[in-house]
Amino acid sequence: MAEGSTQEDDWGPLSALPGNPLMWVLILSEMLVFSAFFILFAWQRAAEVTLFNKSQQFLDPVSGGLNTMILLTSGLFAALAIQAIAEGRLRRTRQWLGLTMVLGAIFCVIKVMEYAGKLSAGLTPETNTFFTYYYLLTAFHLAHVVFGLGLLGLVCWQTSRVNVTTVTAFWHMVDLIWVMLYPLLYLLR
Amino acid sequence: MNEILPGTGHLIKTWLLLMALTLLSMWSAQLDSHSGWLPLPTWGIALVLISAGFKVHQILMVYLNLRVSSAGWKGGFICLLVATVSLVFLAYLSAGQT
Repeated sequence: MAEGSTQEDDWGPLSALPGNPLMWVLILSEMLVFSAFFILFAWQRAAEVTLFNKSQQFLDPVSGGLNTMILLTSGLFAALAIQAIAEGRLRRTRQWLGLTMVLGAIFCVIKVMEYAGKLSAGLTPETNTFFTYYYLLTAFHLAHVVFGLGLLGLVCWQTSRVNVTTVTAFWHMVDLIWVMLYPLLYLLR
Repeated sequence: MNEILPGTGHLIKTWLLLMALTLLSMWSAQLDSHSGWLPLPTWGIALVLISAGFKVHQILMVYLNLRVSSAGWKGGFICLLVATVSLVFLAYLSAGQT
């Protein structure tokens, strides 16, 4: 716990976690929700293997891999922003946050292009079970990315160590969810 | 918020590891082969899932700095991760047998 903290700052067991305890509550709950979706997807696939394998061929695993690398690199920049703010380097912090946002925006552009390609080919959420999961999971994740970009923008404006730590934790969560989502939708068959 | 942050070298090494594991996953999924979209062998499925699980572990421990937390929290998150990866793996094994 931070020096000079009072009883009001005591979050019980959550105090043992680094950064904002409420952000960890969110991280844990998001991980539980996405884990449930991943397991559900995998078992639904087991019931309809042929359909899932055929549908998966319409996805581009290389562009998915590129997006994974983009998000992982944005995660590095977000972690470097925490270091910079811890050293009191405000300008450098904003630069790292800005780069994180640029990569996040590139991720969104690639995703939107992917959606446009699928929709123009007539592949909609109603096409079959695989595409229902594909749109549900990736759009839910994309919504988190867009929300994260908004938060990063706010922190570029209101830059403090607490804000940077809290918002970058959210960004890392978005990152780790995609790391599991990518192989499930694009690679495993 | 006086926890010890990972150093720049540690962050960059982790990033390199994450990138390498992403490439390994793509290779394990046989994207570069002429096998088309044949089902992956069990070792390929295992390698892709272990790689993804390890990447999540690294993001939790290094980027989210969970390594400075208590053993209980670290264990809890790792248990959730292992349970998720195991159940997904079982589903893929079960699908392969149908």
